[in-house]
Amino acid sequence: MAGVKALVALSFSGAIGLTFLMLGCALEDYGVYWPLFVLLFHAISPLPHFIAKRVTYDSDAASSACRELAYFFTTGIVVSAFGFPVILARVAVIKWGACGLVLAGNAVIFLTIQGFFLVFGRGDDFSWEQW
Amino acid sequence: MAGFLDNFRWPECECIDWSERRNAVASVVAGILFFTGWWIMIDAAVVYPKPEQLNHTFHTCGVFSTLAFFMINAVSNAQVRGDSYETGCLGRTGARVWLFIGFMLMFGSLIASMWILFGAYVTQNTDVYPGLAVFFQNALIFFSTLIYKFGRTEELWT
Repeated sequence: MAGVKALVALSFSGAIGLTFLMLGCALEDYGVYWPLFVLLFHAISPLPHFIAKRVTYDSDAASSACRELAYFFTTGIVVSAFGFPVILARVAVIKWGACGLVLAGNAVIFLTIQGFFLVFGRGDDFSWEQW
Repeated sequence: MAGFLDNFRWPECECIDWSERRNAVASVVAGILFFTGWWIMIDAAVVYPKPEQLNHTFHTCGVFSTLAFFMINAVSNAQVRGDSYETGCLGRTGARVWLFIGFMLMFGSLIASMWILFGAYVTQNTDVYPGLAVFFQNALIFFSTLIYKFGRTEELWT
């Protein structure tokens, strides 16, 4: 049952993050929907980890070059997700308030994704059936 | 006076054991530096779109820094030392030459970015921000390369 509680908590925080993101786009003062492109960064941020996990079979080694490259690219995607709204605000496409809201939403959503991996990603495949 | 500080010891921090996580931390720090550098450059390119303000050829520095990042990190330290068993037609010498060219490109673009900063911006009495962006991009990629290359240990891979 612990898995279900964690799942509910994670989806709650994910919804809060998306709410921040939508607030940054859709509030009457702002009303510009370009920041929604950070959703792409959210979507592709776990991909390097999945690829590295599939490529490296043996789990005996504490680390591997492929997994470290995956960490590198994941960090890059996260940094890009934070850099993109800042650039939009710099060229006055969106206002700085909207940028702040999107950044807050980014932080919450990435923490949610991180939490998802901490809770469910640790075990092997059978842990998906356990909860 | 000699050996004055020999007995001075920083108290050992037992809070977190970093030895297992060292490679992951180094990778994340390198990633932050690398992509922050590129986003600084994107910012400068977006804010100063005209070639008079930011000459488009100044992007070459960052491109070569990135190429050097790949070249330096594509060979492992074991290859350079000659510890690995497989030897091609180039072998250890090839790895060393490759790494040497990589570091040459790295230092070359770092120096070139400093040159751009001072030659094209500071001495011309123009808005200096694009030059600073070029310089910081190359400096951050440089430090990212160093951390990614030397911050990780290859003992964890075996």
